Amino acid sequence: MFLRLVADSFTRRPRRKVLTAAALSLGMAVVTAALSVSLDVGDRLASEFRSLGANLLVTPQADSLPLEIGGVDYRPVNAGAYLPEADLPKIKTVFWHNNIIAFAPVLEVSAALPRVTYGDGRQSVPELQTPLIGTWASNRVPLPDGGVFVTGIAKTNPWFHVEGKWFSDEGRLERIEMPPMGHSYLPAPPECVVGEKLAARRKIRAGDQVVVSVATADNSQSMQPCDVTGILSSGGSEDEAVLMPLASVQRLADKPGQYRKVYVSALTKPEDEFARRDPKTMKQDEFERWSCSPYVSSIAYSIKQVLPGTDVRVIRRVAEGEGTVLTRVRALLWMVTFAALLAAALAVGASAAASVIERRTEIGLMKALGAGSGTVGFLLAAEQLVLAFVGGGIGYSLGTLLARLVGQKIFGVAPAPSVLVLVAVLALAAGVTLLGSAIPLRRASRYEPAPILRGE
Amino acid sequence: MAALRSQNRQMFWRIVRRLLGANRGRLFFILLALGAGAAVTAALLNLQIDAKRRITTEFRTFGPNIVISPRGSGDSPRFLDESFFTRIPDRNNLGGVAKAEFLYGIVNVSVARQGQERPVSDAINTRAILVGYVHSDFGANQVLPPGLINAEETWKPVSSLRCAVGEKVASALKMSRDDGIWLRNGPQSYSIYASVLPSTGGPEDNQVFLYLDLAQRLLGQPHRISLIQLRVPGSAEQIGRFVERLQPELGDAEGRPIRQFTEGEAKIYSRISGLLTATVVIVLLLTGLCVMAAMTNVAMERRNDVGLMKAIGGATRRVLRLFLAEAALLGFAGGVIGAAAGIFLSMWLGKQVFGVAAQPRLIVYPVAVVLTMIVAILSAYPLRRLASIRPASIFRGEA
Repeated sequence: MFLRLVADSFTRRPRRKVLTAAALSLGMAVVTAALSVSLDVGDRLASEFRSLGANLLVTPQADSLPLEIGGVDYRPVNAGAYLPEADLPKIKTVFWHNNIIAFAPVLEVSAALPRVTYGDGRQSVPELQTPLIGTWASNRVPLPDGGVFVTGIAKTNPWFHVEGKWFSDEGRLERIEMPPMGHSYLPAPPECVVGEKLAARRKIRAGDQVVVSVATADNSQSMQPCDVTGILSSGGSEDEAVLMPLASVQRLADKPGQYRKVYVSALTKPEDEFARRDPKTMKQDEFERWSCSPYVSSIAYSIKQVLPGTDVRVIRRVAEGEGTVLTRVRALLWMVTFAALLAAALAVGASAAASVIERRTEIGLMKALGAGSGTVGFLLAAEQLVLAFVGGGIGYSLGTLLARLVGQKIFGVAPAPSVLVLVAVLALAAGVTLLGSAIPLRRASRYEPAPILRGE
Repeated sequence: MAALRSQNRQMFWRIVRRLLGANRGRLFFILLALGAGAAVTAALLNLQIDAKRRITTEFRTFGPNIVISPRGSGDSPRFLDESFFTRIPDRNNLGGVAKAEFLYGIVNVSVARQGQERPVSDAINTRAILVGYVHSDFGANQVLPPGLINAEETWKPVSSLRCAVGEKVASALKMSRDDGIWLRNGPQSYSIYASVLPSTGGPEDNQVFLYLDLAQRLLGQPHRISLIQLRVPGSAEQIGRFVERLQPELGDAEGRPIRQFTEGEAKIYSRISGLLTATVVIVLLLTGLCVMAAMTNVAMERRNDVGLMKAIGGATRRVLRLFLAEAALLGFAGGVIGAAAGIFLSMWLGKQVFGVAAQPRLIVYPVAVVLTMIVAILSAYPLRRLASIRPASIFRGEA
């Protein structure tokens, strides 16, 4: 009988029910969208912040002090310590390897440009001193687990714009035609990218060839012609420099397989009080909790573990700025989401209340026939719950679409649908409809059946 | 005729008054919904205007965003004249400009012992970058490492012979705490008390910071500086415009925005403001929904009234106008109360999120009220169903 009554109320006045369900699902759609976007926004913004560049810097522990002014290191080439390039793939083996989105090793030396050969064959006067930066543009790094990780300065420093294209990191072969015998492949000169200020001064354009010369430890000069593939604009000291593949600079400076520092760009969680504590003073369980959170300091710690002899530093300007802005925006969004939740709850509750009020006659009749307040309440609650689940379900799918739209529009990436949101939305729908109907029901239970049935 | 019309109008308002007063509970509910909507809308609008500014202010932790350096070749270190520094305006239309001027040079640093007349050759020593600096009073920690500004505070009131050493310099000298050091450049040397700075992860760790006039004397570069760094508030375009306006003043020096931060900030900022706009739209949508639900309820209950009005000769248009007036009135009342509450709410929210109460903007108030009225009138849409009521069937009690 109970089930029949519930089923009856749906089939008898389908239009009413559809209206209430529609209000419910619209409200819940908005809640779903707001929740999905808020849950997702931390990760999205964190990766957005990576456009500010690396937040970790790895240098040799035993290094002498760098004497760098305006991008030029005034130390002699043989001063200071270097790190082995072969260890670099280990960075992607730390516990938080998925959070490490890019790294780029750097070997800087002071060089000269004795000659620039323009496309039309003319040559220029020499440039006496210019920083030469050896790095990866986007190198394919084989990982110990068999995968390949593509990384380099184009990823760690996304504000670097290259007019033309980046150099290729691998050695190239050039096809040389030898008419009587056919052809042969010989190693081609490496490619390089020239900073825009240096390029403007020497009128270098993509397609020209420059000769780079580096003073080696035994006071001789090693020279290397290279093809300019692009002009770099960075807004920093790199605008005065020549950038070449790491391997070529290692050969020029006679430092095979070595680099000076590596920039690491990692997705992190904003630091709180706990994160700033010294890991040495932590107890076992605290230390575990600390190293299992992607704080920038705990990622730095784990990189130091896999790269022995290094000093891993957090670039405070970037990391702290990121932390404060992220925390603020998150707090703001949660407050706004909460306001939206409240408004949605109010709307849904109101429509639930309306649907109970309009059935006062029915309630009066049931009571007149001997139904207790409890039975009536139970019956109505069952109806509302069915509505809540149907409306909540439809609302969830609508809201996921809406979230997808908003996410796509703002971040270019849609938030992944989450079960947590579904559960929260269904619970909220049930809670709000029940609460919304409870208030008019209580009032209805105070009415005597007779006046209601008389239509007063 | 005029009397009749004025009587009509009187009757119109009387009915509106009665309609509003008919069900106190519902009136309260609708006002609550509209008021809440208006409050949230006003709060978010106000916060959005304010949050944009706050977030750009928040970016100041990223440090300077403009560098002014000598134009010309990288062959030899070139210098600017000190007088450039005073030519840079102290503020733009958005707020104060934080400025600092620097002179770089390489010096020999060694630990000083009590009673030494000159640096001893066998003491631990290292070569390090000496940074001579002067900053403006405004926003010093935006252009210099905050640790240095904190150290400066501890030097007061005797700050003449103090300097600060970066964390790596300190560890190279095996200094674990603030101590005396020698700074030597050729024949020139100073004995000076040095504070150790916390690590920044940047080049500051390898540098020694000294007041500019002392550094100029030590390096033998009187009245010269290497570069100027600025933190200018605003978006990437505003910073670009600032540099353009400044350029003619600079002569052979060149100003350029530090793209690492200006570009990144612009991206992040556009994302955040997009998010805020999306939430404002969502909340407005919800308010509309809320009021619409209540209005559907009203429409159901008013069927008898409308039936009666029509039966005694009320035209559909006049009946509808009645209800629209009611909705607009409700929207106005809800908006006026709600928006006021919302502005206070936004001030409180601003305090919670950014630590500074959001400034109330007068423009937000009328905008929120008008938006609420529009929402109220639009959500009176369910009342349209009343137009199709046929009096006879209502009175017969048919549904």
